[in-house]
Amino acid sequence: MHIQYEVLLVVKKVRQRKQDGTLYLMTERIAWGPEGKDRFTVSHLYADIRCQKISPEGKAKIQLQLVLHTGESTTFHFANESTAMKDRDAAKDLLQQLLPKFKKKANKELEEKNRMLQEDPVLFQLYKDLVVSQVISAEEFWANRLKLSSTDHFSSNNNKQEVGISAAFLADIRPQTDGCNGLRYNLTTDIIESIFRTYPAVKQKYAENVPHNLTEKDFWTRFFQSHYFHRDRINTGLQDLFSECAKQDEKGLKSMVVQGVKNPMVDLLSLEDKTLDEGYGSLTGPSTSNSSKTVKENSNSAIIKRFNHHSAMVLAAGLRKMDTSSDQASETSSTDGNSRDSDTFQPPIKKVKLQEAIEYEDFQNETGPKTIALKLKKFDRYSHGPVPLQSHHYSTSQDIISSVSCIQEEMSCYKPCLTQVMSSSAASSAITALSPGGALMQTGAHQTVSQLVPVDIQSELKHLYTAAGELLRHFWSCFPVNTPFLEEKVVKMQSNLERFQSTKLHPFQGKIQREYLSSNLISHLEEMIQAAYNKFHAWQMRRMMKKT
Amino acid sequence: MKLNIEGLLVYFPYDYIYPEQYSYMLELKRTLDAKGHGVLEMPSGTGKTISLLSLIVAYQKAYPLEVTKLIYCSRTVPEIEKVVEELRKLMDFYTKETGEKNNFLALALSSRKNLCIHPEVSSLRFGKEVDGKCHSLTASYIRAERHSNPSQPVCRFYEEFDAVGRQVPIPPGIYNLDDLKEFGRRRGWCPYYLARYAILHANIVVYSYHYLLDPKIADLVSKELAKKSVVVFDEAHNIDNVCIDSMSVNITRRTLDRCQANVDTLQTTIRRIKETDAAKLQEEYRRLVEGLKETSAARETDIYMSNPILPDEVLQEAVPGNIRTAEHFVGFLKRFLEYLKARLRVHHVVQESSPQFLKDIFEKVCIDRKPLRFCAERLRSLLRTLEIADIADFSAITLISNFATLVSTYSKGKRAAPYSDSTTSNNVKSSNYILFQPVFERFQSVVITSGTLSPLDIYPRILDFHPVTMASFTMTLARTCLCPLIVGRGNDQVAMSSKFETREDFAVIRNYGNLLLELSAVVPDGIVAFFTSYVYMENIVASWYEQGILENIQRNKLIFIETQDAAETSVALEKYQEACENGRGAILLSVARGKVSEGIDFVHHFGRAVIMFGVPYVYTQSRILKARLEYLRDQYQIRENDFLTFDAMRHAAQCVGRAIRGKTDYGLMIFADKRYARADKRGKLPRWIQEHITDGSLNLTIDETMQLAKHFLRQMAQPFRREDQLGLSLLTLEQLQSEDMLQKISQIAQQA
Repeated sequence: MHIQYEVLLVVKKVRQRKQDGTLYLMTERIAWGPEGKDRFTVSHLYADIRCQKISPEGKAKIQLQLVLHTGESTTFHFANESTAMKDRDAAKDLLQQLLPKFKKKANKELEEKNRMLQEDPVLFQLYKDLVVSQVISAEEFWANRLKLSSTDHFSSNNNKQEVGISAAFLADIRPQTDGCNGLRYNLTTDIIESIFRTYPAVKQKYAENVPHNLTEKDFWTRFFQSHYFHRDRINTGLQDLFSECAKQDEKGLKSMVVQGVKNPMVDLLSLEDKTLDEGYGSLTGPSTSNSSKTVKENSNSAIIKRFNHHSAMVLAAGLRKMDTSSDQASETSSTDGNSRDSDTFQPPIKKVKLQEAIEYEDFQNETGPKTIALKLKKFDRYSHGPVPLQSHHYSTSQDIISSVSCIQEEMSCYKPCLTQVMSSSAASSAITALSPGGALMQTGAHQTVSQLVPVDIQSELKHLYTAAGELLRHFWSCFPVNTPFLEEKVVKMQSNLERFQSTKLHPFQGKIQREYLSSNLISHLEEMIQAAYNKFHAWQMRRMMKKT
Repeated sequence: MKLNIEGLLVYFPYDYIYPEQYSYMLELKRTLDAKGHGVLEMPSGTGKTISLLSLIVAYQKAYPLEVTKLIYCSRTVPEIEKVVEELRKLMDFYTKETGEKNNFLALALSSRKNLCIHPEVSSLRFGKEVDGKCHSLTASYIRAERHSNPSQPVCRFYEEFDAVGRQVPIPPGIYNLDDLKEFGRRRGWCPYYLARYAILHANIVVYSYHYLLDPKIADLVSKELAKKSVVVFDEAHNIDNVCIDSMSVNITRRTLDRCQANVDTLQTTIRRIKETDAAKLQEEYRRLVEGLKETSAARETDIYMSNPILPDEVLQEAVPGNIRTAEHFVGFLKRFLEYLKARLRVHHVVQESSPQFLKDIFEKVCIDRKPLRFCAERLRSLLRTLEIADIADFSAITLISNFATLVSTYSKGKRAAPYSDSTTSNNVKSSNYILFQPVFERFQSVVITSGTLSPLDIYPRILDFHPVTMASFTMTLARTCLCPLIVGRGNDQVAMSSKFETREDFAVIRNYGNLLLELSAVVPDGIVAFFTSYVYMENIVASWYEQGILENIQRNKLIFIETQDAAETSVALEKYQEACENGRGAILLSVARGKVSEGIDFVHHFGRAVIMFGVPYVYTQSRILKARLEYLRDQYQIRENDFLTFDAMRHAAQCVGRAIRGKTDYGLMIFADKRYARADKRGKLPRWIQEHITDGSLNLTIDETMQLAKHFLRQMAQPFRREDQLGLSLLTLEQLQSEDMLQKISQIAQQA
């Protein structure tokens, strides 16, 4: 078939589906033809191949599997007894070089798009409505979809849970005597990782010294030899590599203490309402001044301190990831002005803790799920919804007062003129017209669309709405038009809308007219599109004015 | 719901009630009716506070002339704030039900540190600094000086309050500490002085014990509270220690050195003032001749509480002539100081009573008893005259003069035990409960309540009063949510005990470690372990570390350890809670009698098991303790051993009770000492714990304990709904009114 391609490698005696044949690796494709025939029954473009797999070593059959983007796979069995392994490796190596060249990014994207369309039926419908019917081009359709989804995707990837650290990771490094007066420590990468995460100071030391000054092995030997590793250390020698780490730990401990605690219920310092003045109160036990403390006692308290520190560090290492992300979240929320308002909506931690403390679980009647306090940027926006600024006639309070007084005045001199009243029949007909179900109250007794319209029309209407919504979203997102690119886009979008109206909306209108349904089904849609046109024309006018 | 407690309409702000709460209110009502004192024990987490508040508020509303004020004393600041919040809930309920506007004034009072709103002063970290700084801005002569010198800094909040605050009453409502600050900020008034002033006409006052018990503060704050008040001491199991602490004085060589410096400053200041402003000293002298008339005028009406430090005689007599002039007084102080220094030089222990001490001082330096008694008052007057702003600098001399007054005033029932040892510290210690007496005498009803007051009869004896009601309430439970186990042996059958002879035994320490290790594998979330003393814990932790037990425990849970530094411990505690919260699980090693055991609750998953390693006896070799025991034996016929066991058991119960804070909570209580199995120890635990100790759980090995613990935890982990409780341990109004329920309720209270 495509013999004109340069053949890079030919491997004979390769079986595929129990058939002997020859494998050809060419510049752009891999192909296989059965023995004795000069055409390929299997042929894949490299671009279609997702990956290759090989059978594990020591297995009887030596195979190579190609997995395609479509999910299909092809397996080749290298059957040449003496050189099977060598053949396979040659093929594998070549593929390894070739495949990355063809692994275009587009492929991934296509896959991604495919996946999205499959997962989201609404999107699929939209795609059909807009792209397949050629209202907008595929690129335009995907232009901001992918951006959205990629961030989505990214964050979902990021949310993967970080594995915590075992508190006993140091205990796992159990020293074993090697029989000749030495100790063997077993370190795994997990443990090293744990040490680094728990003690960033050690990591820093590692980065500083390995491999320039020390080999990795030396580094860890020193680590285990140093007093830093041992919890009952009191003071580390100055020449010790890790004395600085110890100092940093000390500093960290101190800063933790200085920072204090957030939860007032566990703050032992502020627990007592009144501390006895110095000199009052009875001393319990013999007084221990610093000088009289023995070395033993000192080392004991050092152990205690270190255990507390270790536990805190392990805990912090587990939480660090979460913290950063939540910090970011809070930061972003504060940048758009939320922080000021949020104070009023989120009671301070003390109040929450107090309320928690006085709550009796079993007395509460309904303990609904705990709700999260609402953070609002603009409170009135929340309670009223957005109000259109134009087309609103504001009446000042002066107006209202004057009109009220006007009415009052009129009422005060109102005299019923009994000779000029309506006939009773006219009055009753007026009342019926105004009661629910009457001629004038038609809109009040509104029958829902679902009752009036057949199901297929309904679904079609829904599709139209989503499609129109999408288009309009694109349209409105161009405003304010401040770059030439946006200018171009807005013009295109306007034409897209027009096309949509002519190819989709008008046929639908004709259809519902044919079925004698009320045409105001799509009036809202048309209104929306009209609003967009208005905006477009206004914008165009302004642009012309500017130009002239 | 609305309850009828023997004819009194009580509003209770919940739709459900525990049977024991009803019973508690009955007893409380009887106490108030009889205008007597009461001792009531009810387990923590059964809503003691809300029951107390509901009943007393109802009583106050029904008989406004009988009970004019409720004084609620609690121990810690968070506790105080909790009480006020519960009160707010109750008052909201009143307004909702009756539709009337609340006309009650209730407020919390705390130290300046918690109430100050002055931007500079409130930023200081320690209470003492805040007090000192505040004093330097608000003292009367400082403010007087401002008239002539406007650049003198004063506190504008106090000025504002002083100008208008007293005329305008604070509107009725519930004021927590934060509310007071908020109110103060709005008006520009000092919240601290506002609160201190407002407690005089408030209906409910919530504050710390010290404001009533410590004579040094009570004199300032609680002097004018009316007799027809009900006083409640919540969490009162340690009340005797609070009394003793506030009446004890420690004098070390360092104190005396500082004292010397103080005296020197006084002398120079007097000399300077004499040259510039002799009239001032003359004025003071005249005032002292007239005696402390104003103070005695207040005392005469007798509805005020007396200040034990300022005995009645002092008020009636004028200040003795030999300390009336400033120079003479300073000379007097010098002599006294020299005498104390001489006493400190003695290297052997001397123990003597006050009369002995007074006799000795008279013989050695010719100081009479009478001027000694006026010492504190005289010093205060002098400091005022000399316009010394920073009282904190003179703490040493104030301490000495207070000591002089104390030692000369309370000769009866007071034991001064000055001694010195090689570490040059001298303790003078007065172990008396006289403090409490004025409280019992001055107020109509005093209620002492706590979760752990057993055995009930000992409190009236050591506090020397006669209660009309004494009752202990059990906890009605739909499921036995507490599981006390007494572990007496290790798996190797070696007895476990923190007894002095065996506590350093290798096998005991190892067994304790194994117990903790195995529990850490079984118990979910948090475990709290208490040791008998800090030193003991340090030793055990060190040897566990050497034996590798701690590392093995770390495989299951994180370890946090209480230290002697409160700030460090707070951090450890917060991290501990964090670890329990996020599911890692943690162990907190702590000390009985420490700050954690006294003030921190371990609700729900913060404490699924509590282990008490050993019996927390006090350090019995201490001389102070010996003096106290002797005193108890002589005065109240309480045997030393009885008191020691009582004291140990109340602390054990206190520690272990930290885990159960309600009926939906559950927890293991493990007593790891053989001695708990004995009847004399076990019998002193609170009833609500005792009744769950079966004969089968008395002397367990570690393995057996694990079996029982696993079984218990598995049972408790089942869902527990309200329907399971309803009718048994949780009642609606209808259920409460049924005949046989009332019958049952009457059995809950056990009269002691």
